[in-house]
Amino acid sequence: MKKYYFDNCKTTQPAPEVIEAMLPYLKEKFVLPANFVLGGSTADEELAGFKKTVAASIGAKPEEIHFTASGTLANNIAIKGFISENAGNGTHIIVSVIDYPDLLTNAAFFEKSGFDVTYLGTDSEGFIDLEQLKNSLRSDTILFMTTFVNHTVGSIQPLKKIREILDTADHKIALHVDAGQAYGKIPIAVNELGIDLMSFSAHKIHGPQGVGALYQRKGVQLGPVIHGINRLDNHQTGMVSLANIAGFAKAVELAFGNFDANVKKLRELSNYLLERIESTIPYTLLNGPRGEGRTPHNINISFDFIEGEAIMLMLDLAGISVDTGSACASQGLKPNYILMAMGRNHEQSHSSMKFTMSRYNTKEEIDYAVDKLAEIVKELRRRSPLYKEK
Amino acid sequence: MQYSQKVLDHFMKPHNVGKIEHPDAEATEGSPACGDQISIQLKVNPETKIIEDVKFQSYGCASNIATGSIITDMAKGMNIEAAKKITWKEAADELDGLPPVKMHCSVLAVDTLRKAIKDYEVKNHLAEADEFDKDSILEELKKVIYPQVGEDIVALKMVKYVGLEDGIAIIDLEIPKFDKFRDNVVEEVREHLEKFQEIKDIKITI
Repeated sequence: MKKYYFDNCKTTQPAPEVIEAMLPYLKEKFVLPANFVLGGSTADEELAGFKKTVAASIGAKPEEIHFTASGTLANNIAIKGFISENAGNGTHIIVSVIDYPDLLTNAAFFEKSGFDVTYLGTDSEGFIDLEQLKNSLRSDTILFMTTFVNHTVGSIQPLKKIREILDTADHKIALHVDAGQAYGKIPIAVNELGIDLMSFSAHKIHGPQGVGALYQRKGVQLGPVIHGINRLDNHQTGMVSLANIAGFAKAVELAFGNFDANVKKLRELSNYLLERIESTIPYTLLNGPRGEGRTPHNINISFDFIEGEAIMLMLDLAGISVDTGSACASQGLKPNYILMAMGRNHEQSHSSMKFTMSRYNTKEEIDYAVDKLAEIVKELRRRSPLYKEK
Repeated sequence: MQYSQKVLDHFMKPHNVGKIEHPDAEATEGSPACGDQISIQLKVNPETKIIEDVKFQSYGCASNIATGSIITDMAKGMNIEAAKKITWKEAADELDGLPPVKMHCSVLAVDTLRKAIKDYEVKNHLAEADEFDKDSILEELKKVIYPQVGEDIVALKMVKYVGLEDGIAIIDLEIPKFDKFRDNVVEEVREHLEKFQEIKDIKITI
């Protein structure tokens, strides 16, 4: 059965060019970077080249890039490393209730260890409350963390405005950004946006799984988080796969070599999907903003009177992969915390479906998916006691 | 986590979906807030007390729809005494098993069938409406399934005390502090008890 993959928010298909670029490092080029020996020096030069590629994609210097084993590791190295090094300057950190779990679980960890955490609220479209941010700044605030593109509803947080607000404090407040969903989808210039620390990963942009990157602005100090031998990186000690790094760099070349065209295609696909759903299926509700405030690759939409796990399973049996915010499909049996924080009710959260595009998707695939979706929604509504009551 | 082929079959092509035009009895259990709701309607032969027709509607996940389908299949043709005795474990077994985290769907379907039969009995003066006391609360708590293992919280001895004083239900639960289903169990207990008009307030201690 042909696969129709619209779950690119979770992970993406590795590009064929990426796999090609990785193979030499899995076969003959397995030697680690080292001084004075031929194989090691070559690896050292090549690693420097990969760093340069990734750094250029966000307007950073190569020495500001650290390769990690995942985006989550990059987040942990950044957050734990920054706080352990800077706790002497204050013990207040700010995050929002709709952030990525990496940020929220780290915030909870520090809260338990005695730090003060302010959790900012959100509006109904998934933008964090900037007034509350202004009022939350304190003389002991050391760190603000945010998810650049929300992983559920695709809202793009206004980082430039956020930086301006942070700069109104009488001392420096560090800005850590999870760019997992933003990287490769919207332009990121770390200097222009005043980002101090940022995490992102390869497998969201058709690179391999198991490699991420941390941007650490020059001058921002991080304490050690993962203790061990310094093979490739002083923060991510131990081994990081060279093959994965090579694949990552290739994925970056592909995504950024044709950035505007890629983004335009994603935006067109998303708009087409939304238009087709809204014109074909009644009683729907888009979650998150419309237009430019939304990442080009995400459509999250709720279908009244029915439940998301049932929709997801029926789509899956038709070869279509998507995600849902239904409690029934979650590990803890809880409705999606972001939709609930945005003011959606249980029903709207249970029935929410998330479609995330990649440059490999086509309009024909969307036509097939929406036709199937329309049949499924109609059938599940026929079975639902809620539908008849309306 | 994988559904059995039988669950998928009943989910994709459920039996007995819909409504009966003039039902002899009916019941609706669950709520959209919990993520699942099921309605069952019955047509019962007044002489033989055999369930001649049964239909259901479901707002819920795949296992909710599949259990609605299987339970109505099982009840059809049975007399009401036998149908009352169908257990949620039998319903789950009939589907070749359900994942532990989905067992509550089976409980909900069985419970709704029993409520519909009770509705028939009360309407036809075969039984009195239930009197409400702390045993009724305990019975209700047997429908709260601990998702980790797929057993009810009473059988798992997670319920340490049940009381009913002046309309206030008092429940004492034992759940490990960092259990990922802790909030979920407490919320389920609340949702199960809130529907009783006899209960004015619920106090849960852990």
